[in-house]
Amino acid sequence: MAPALSNFLRVIRAPLAAILLTLALGFLLVASITDEPVRAYRDLLLANFDSLGNFALFLNRATPLTLIALGVVFSFRAGVFNVGGEGQLYAGAVTTTVVAIAGASLPALVLMPLAIIAGFLAGAVVGWIPGVLKVRLAVDEVVTTLMLNIIILLITSWLANQVIRDTTAYGAVSWMVPNSIWLPPLPFVPRATSGFLVAAVLAVVSWIVLFRTQWGAEVRAAGTNLRFAEATGVPAARRVISAMVIAGGLAGLAGALYVLGVGHRFEQNFSPSYGLVGLTCALLARVHPIGSLATALFYAAMLNGAAYMQISTDVPRSLVNLLTGLLVLLMTARLRRAAQAA
Amino acid sequence: MPTSKRAPESVLMSDPDIILSLAGIAKSFGEKAALGHVDLDVRRGEVHVICGENGAGKSTLMNILAGIHQPNAGSIVLNGKTVTIADPIAASRLGIGMVHQHFTLVPSMTVAENLFLGRQPRRLGIFSDRRQMADRARELIARYNFHLDPEAPVRTLSVGQRQRVEILKALAFDADLLILDEPTAVLTPPEVDELIGVVDGLRARGRTILFITHKLREVKAVSDRVTVIRRGRSISTRNTADVTEADIGRDMVGREVFLVGRKGSAQRSFGAPVLTLDNVSMTNHSGRRLLERISLEVRAGEVLGIAGVDGNGQTELAEAIAGLMPVQAGKIRFGDRDLTDADLRERQQAGLGFVPEDRLDRGLSVTMSVAENVAATNYKRAGLLSGGLIDRHKLDSFAGDKIREFDVRGAQPSTQAGWLSGGNMQKLVIARELERDPSLLLICQPTRGLDIGASEFVHARILQAADRGRAVLLISSELSEIFALSDRIGVMYSGRMMRILDRAEADEETVGYLMNGGSKEAA
Repeated sequence: MAPALSNFLRVIRAPLAAILLTLALGFLLVASITDEPVRAYRDLLLANFDSLGNFALFLNRATPLTLIALGVVFSFRAGVFNVGGEGQLYAGAVTTTVVAIAGASLPALVLMPLAIIAGFLAGAVVGWIPGVLKVRLAVDEVVTTLMLNIIILLITSWLANQVIRDTTAYGAVSWMVPNSIWLPPLPFVPRATSGFLVAAVLAVVSWIVLFRTQWGAEVRAAGTNLRFAEATGVPAARRVISAMVIAGGLAGLAGALYVLGVGHRFEQNFSPSYGLVGLTCALLARVHPIGSLATALFYAAMLNGAAYMQISTDVPRSLVNLLTGLLVLLMTARLRRAAQAA
Repeated sequence: MPTSKRAPESVLMSDPDIILSLAGIAKSFGEKAALGHVDLDVRRGEVHVICGENGAGKSTLMNILAGIHQPNAGSIVLNGKTVTIADPIAASRLGIGMVHQHFTLVPSMTVAENLFLGRQPRRLGIFSDRRQMADRARELIARYNFHLDPEAPVRTLSVGQRQRVEILKALAFDADLLILDEPTAVLTPPEVDELIGVVDGLRARGRTILFITHKLREVKAVSDRVTVIRRGRSISTRNTADVTEADIGRDMVGREVFLVGRKGSAQRSFGAPVLTLDNVSMTNHSGRRLLERISLEVRAGEVLGIAGVDGNGQTELAEAIAGLMPVQAGKIRFGDRDLTDADLRERQQAGLGFVPEDRLDRGLSVTMSVAENVAATNYKRAGLLSGGLIDRHKLDSFAGDKIREFDVRGAQPSTQAGWLSGGNMQKLVIARELERDPSLLLICQPTRGLDIGASEFVHARILQAADRGRAVLLISSELSEIFALSDRIGVMYSGRMMRILDRAEADEETVGYLMNGGSKEAA
């Protein structure tokens, strides 16, 4: 256990240093804006834990981020620069909603798994398309995933406005899904989705799959050197495509669990760019599944904390965008260990 | 005079024959000592080879002369004066020109533009005078008889021609002392011969040349004197005429080395054909023929060597046999099984071991660990899985065994493969492929870029496999390697197999003739 622990510490040391440095620099900034910098910072970081309600919102925020980040980990490990998390998320969310509404007469025990699987599969298909295009036709995946984001967003917008729209409600939202298939809340945290447990378990499962199975080793071989993978007899193209299917599926699952656990309907603007933030989480975790869970929790805390901070002080919540930028900058321009030691 | 001991400095300073004299040069990077103690005398107008294994300190020494590094100790005496070479500009001002192993040319510019890059002749101080530049380039080319077109863009030149542009670039600075850093590493055998001709021409014009290499054949062919460096120390300086390749090899490695492989005369018996190619042809996407009706047979216990200048279809032949590129016509059989359309994994199961020609391209994933690289084709066979998951302890001990067995230096199972030296990476690839004890070993350019010690090791492993009754198909553009190891020698030219010769009837002349596309006389 001891080597595993030291290994873990080694993995998180650099991101942790970057996070602390970002918070320190951010504090200077906050101090220049407001008379109550300590209060603002306390709210930013700790208001999430003030009440059980706040804590639940925090976990609800972390759930989709974790799942999308895990998807990004799979695709990046396979060498695919997948920036299509947002589209995959929306495809999953809207498909789950459609299936749930259309199958409302089915028993919950059938409908719930059906809706979740449909969401996963929808995301998987959206991941599969750029995967196949990259492997078979060498089409750049950044272009295809970005374009698919827009396509999927427009399709869901059409569905939400024209097909499944709740005509009694204001805005582009669908009818509610039957409450028999709502996810139960987490034990002891009434308003938190149990989807978070799924995300946490999947983070561990992802790590095992990627780092402790031959399939995972083959995916990583294909991702780091496709021609090497081919020369060792790995069906490299197939591995890349299946990694993209899983990546899309996980983002789709994020959408499915959001609808069933939090939103209970499809809302056209339910995502504050979860796709991009999830990507950032994965990158900050250096494309590591367990690390992604940690960075997703951190991001969720910041996103929600900024709202509390804005309410209680005069610091705008967009400070978080600034801190995010700083963090990414510090992570990419990581200080050399030698310099830290000195 | 078999060994020239360094004379006291005062004597050197008065000796007009010595252009460069190094005494007690030492250099360390942090804790690591790259050079311990190097003495070197270079006589005016000689070709002096610096010979040593990879990592012996040759490049560090040359970088000190080129002004890139500063020595920690020792003195440099140039033309009788003690000098400090502060930077590369100072080096060229002192008349030291360096030709690096990796070219520093602009492909889209012409030969003349490259020669005068950054110091073009000017008109009115601002406009570059293209005519004068071309004239001066032409004059320079003519003076050294280099057969280059000053107006040709560099991207249209062959590697050998590019190297001559690099050499001219150094000469254009009026370098008295020209340093060639591993100039043959990137050249094909005929280009090496041309380069040796070029070096001879420069010597005839009174230039002094320091020639860095670790290839013994070149030492004998090119040099007047040779200095061997081992582990950062100068071991010996001798007249090339007085020493044998084996002497130099012994100094480089520090022990007797085995340079001759299989004797062609020994009568050996072979088993049934393990690999049979029957009129195999391959065409690329644009319809160009890459392989033209290749037929061959490799029998159990036999090494079939395929010689040829790089780019004559050897790569494609290997990819066809490995199943990485599809063939359009012909049959590929492993034993009695037709595997023409099988993928690589099926061929592995049928007994193929494949060492690709470029370890960085197909051989390894440099960002993955040593353990994962060496296990890549062996997870099931070596029993590294338990309950469907990779057993880390078994993986590490498996990798540890391979590291010891193949003497992969500087490696732990968790080390990134990319941190190893070229020779140790190659050992890793070979360790992985030999682990399955393949009945057919397809091994391409096995010692490219490797030093003597590592080459010797790899050669021994290849012969060992053949002696255990495995069939070996060796593809190499290194003729000495082909001759040392092969029982039969095939020569490829322009996608065709010119001839397959018995070792006894193959001599360098015949093979060289076929490599250049000579007709299939007596075929």
